[in-house]
Amino acid sequence: MKITLEKDVMENNDRAAEFNRQLFRQSKTLVINIMSSPGAGKTTILEKTAAALSGQFRIAVIEGDIATERDADRVRATGVRAVQIATEGECHLDPRMIAKVLPDINLEETDILFIENVGNLVCPSEFDLGQDHRIVVLSTPEGNDKIPKYPLMFHVTELALINKIDLLSYTSFDLEKAQEDLRGINPSSRIMPLSARTGEGFDDWLNWVKEAYQACQKR
Amino acid sequence: MGLMEEALQMVSEDAEKHGLETIDKVSLIVGDLSNVLPDALRFAFDAFCKTGEIPRIGERAQLEIIRERGLARCALCGKEYEPSEYLALCPECDMPFGVIQSGETFKIESYEGS
Repeated sequence: MKITLEKDVMENNDRAAEFNRQLFRQSKTLVINIMSSPGAGKTTILEKTAAALSGQFRIAVIEGDIATERDADRVRATGVRAVQIATEGECHLDPRMIAKVLPDINLEETDILFIENVGNLVCPSEFDLGQDHRIVVLSTPEGNDKIPKYPLMFHVTELALINKIDLLSYTSFDLEKAQEDLRGINPSSRIMPLSARTGEGFDDWLNWVKEAYQACQKR
Repeated sequence: MGLMEEALQMVSEDAEKHGLETIDKVSLIVGDLSNVLPDALRFAFDAFCKTGEIPRIGERAQLEIIRERGLARCALCGKEYEPSEYLALCPECDMPFGVIQSGETFKIESYEGS
């Protein structure tokens, strides 16, 4: 017996993401999904961001990792609430994993929620979590070719933080080339160079977050 | 693995509603631009067939992957062409940002069970 289904495989995910999105809207929480390959500096950026903004905003972080609570511990050390999701082998976060931990977050008392996805430039780009913004971190030692090699990631994100610019002179990374490659994949995205370690360029990022927060209060 | 599991769970649940005991064949439509790799899907499918962890998906199940070609339309001259990934560049007038017409699909077309 043949049965025609004609069903989008991502249908359940999309529905779960929409469910999350409604909750984020109700509580007027700004939600940012941060993705990158392992070691690009997501956690360091979040530590510094949490430290810089926690006086002005009530911040919470969801950490996605295959195993361990290490990243959540690092973020908690800055005094910010952090919930760890151990995906137990899955290489990405999906919207149902997020929905399950939302009771631990208390959205009504959260202005900004950062979701640090599992370090991977492929699968996380396929899953909408219900966030307001998707951003990607690329570090200079990884090289320019990550942009054309992982087009979907740079296609679905609206901002590419180029981290570790303090190492720029030790690498062959070319910022102009990165902006040009990005424009070909996604004309509405742009690069933002910074160093989480030295703090160079970090104010641009903090201002971006603040503006995104203001915009999310008006919707 | 995650995407294949998602697809097979959907098929398995639907088959249960139709009172089917085993699934003989699953047909998926995979677009060239969907970022889903057919080889990875086949690998995952074989793994799930062997472990038997998804109800009604057993060792004898077959997988069919129907390819959907990528198609973009040039924003300038209107020409339709097959883009390479997301860098949709028109071969006629060299204009980038072609609008994707097809090739992003990832869906279950049908399945056969008994």
